[in-house]
Amino acid sequence: MNALIWRLHRNQAYTAGAALAALTCLLLLTGITMAHDYHAFLASCGTTRSCGDATQLLFRGDGAITTLVDATMAVPLLLGVFWGAPMLARELETGTHNLAWTQGVTRRGWLSRNVLWALAAAAAFGTATAVLVSWWRGPQNAVGVPVRLATFTFDIQGIMPAAYTVFAVALGIAAGTIFKRVLPAMAVTFTAFAGLRFLIAEYARPHYLTAITKSLPPFSGNQAAPAGSWVLSNATLGPNGRNYTTGISYQDTPAACRSLGQQAARQNSCLSSHGFHTLITYQPASRFWALQGIEAGIFIALAAALIILAYRVVLTRDA
Amino acid sequence: MSAQDVPAIRTAGLGKRYGSLWALRDCSVSVPRGRVTALVGPNGAGKTTLLKILVGLSAPSAGEASVLGRPPGQTTEFLASIGYLAQDLPLYSRLSVADHLEIGANLNRAWDAAGARARLAGLGIPEDRRVSALSGGQRAQVGLSMALAKRPRVLVLDEPVAALDPLARREFLASLTEAVADGDLSVIMSSHLLHDLQRVCDHIILLAASRTQLTGDIDHVLRTHRWLLGPRRKATDIEPGIEVIKATQTANQTRLLARLSGPVLDPRWEITEVGLEDIVLAYMGQDDARTAGPLTTARPVR
Repeated sequence: MNALIWRLHRNQAYTAGAALAALTCLLLLTGITMAHDYHAFLASCGTTRSCGDATQLLFRGDGAITTLVDATMAVPLLLGVFWGAPMLARELETGTHNLAWTQGVTRRGWLSRNVLWALAAAAAFGTATAVLVSWWRGPQNAVGVPVRLATFTFDIQGIMPAAYTVFAVALGIAAGTIFKRVLPAMAVTFTAFAGLRFLIAEYARPHYLTAITKSLPPFSGNQAAPAGSWVLSNATLGPNGRNYTTGISYQDTPAACRSLGQQAARQNSCLSSHGFHTLITYQPASRFWALQGIEAGIFIALAAALIILAYRVVLTRDA
Repeated sequence: MSAQDVPAIRTAGLGKRYGSLWALRDCSVSVPRGRVTALVGPNGAGKTTLLKILVGLSAPSAGEASVLGRPPGQTTEFLASIGYLAQDLPLYSRLSVADHLEIGANLNRAWDAAGARARLAGLGIPEDRRVSALSGGQRAQVGLSMALAKRPRVLVLDEPVAALDPLARREFLASLTEAVADGDLSVIMSSHLLHDLQRVCDHIILLAASRTQLTGDIDHVLRTHRWLLGPRRKATDIEPGIEVIKATQTANQTRLLARLSGPVLDPRWEITEVGLEDIVLAYMGQDDARTAGPLTTARPVR
């Protein structure tokens, strides 16, 4: 059984391995430089007691690499579409399942071994890219720019890439068994994966844990939240509850504060004493692993449901 | 019942329905062990459906089937007892012949690796060649070698020679005959090319219109069917021992293809032997005959 799976899928494995090796080389080279710069910067900070802006340092000359790192977000999708979806769909489309299912291995055994290898490979590949990216992002995470919890950075670090990849491959396998043809299975995997990822990241993730709400002086920016926070909303409200986030008109400004128009700081403190304030909601940096755990749990549960579906289809349907 | 008496294949009232359409209906056959059975019938008669049920790829909607006394199913014991070569010879086109042999060895406990390699070498099929680069005849031989290397007790072949040229067809059937001579093997092979099968097969199952029309040893079938030629007469004038399968009438003559249950008593009939192909065609054409002529009294034989 293992020989069959290896012979059928070794080319994909070689391709994926080569891509991973190339990514590793690039990230190691640039990552070592970046880590070195960061440590030199911290050392000079300690002696001169003036740190300046560390973020400038971290993006020097590596824009293309940053883009590449962000692009690892597509790894789960690619593996789901080009690995998971064709895996069984190709057998069902070309009829070779008739050969495989009449050898000395039961259909259940055949499916189990396929699923096991596919998901193990998915988890390993997702983990490998995540480890690389998380290490590369180390200095940036330490500085807090970009925010590790934000969309795009959250999705390519920690345990998310492995969970997404396992889900994508499970989705591909299920779509392949249901549609029995390679192209429809690929299209469905692509659409369903991209759609679900977007919906969950956009609408579910901010609400896994109750966001912290903090009242700040009016017109405070997002940087007023604790370092590394993922700011979900920022609104400046008047005493009457009206929203002044985009600014306050002369008429709405309390009379006592009107003459201070030129000096933002003094006007803001005046507005503050008249009941104006900014409400900011955010997820603090400390929740990174909690949020990762919750979202990974959701995708692993969905993957399990899809695999159960694939079993039902394969075991009950006629060849 | 001793092991030797267990039929290789037995079905009773077997049926398969796809939606509201019956692909196979009320199929009852019993094939003794050691026979090479030709499963013939027009396209869409349910041949593939029957074979898929026999190898456990498809579940019946009605009735039951057994192969060597066991219901087809997903157990390693059952799967080890059958060899199957599906229609269109599915092989992994991107893999080499050697890869296929390796896969077979990997998936089957009783794998005759040496035998398979010797067969392919004897046929001059290079092991390092990709399957996609093989000719149709070579592909069929690789498929047959895979099926035989499992050391099956029942070999199920679905239209194995349909796509082959006459020479490859002859070679394939010669290989099959050799394999059958070697040991305790029962074969069922579907085809609509009866002419080729007749040299190899000793048993026949004829499916038409989703039903079994004829089943039995070919010798027996040939012995019991005859052409009868005589003066024109009505259906009611034909004696009861003559079952008309096909009848053609001219102005003053009646020609019957009949199944005889005993000697023909009416001396006016001129009796000649019938070839298997004519018998099969007659059974296949029964539906047409029933509506066309007033003479036919034939009904499907179960």
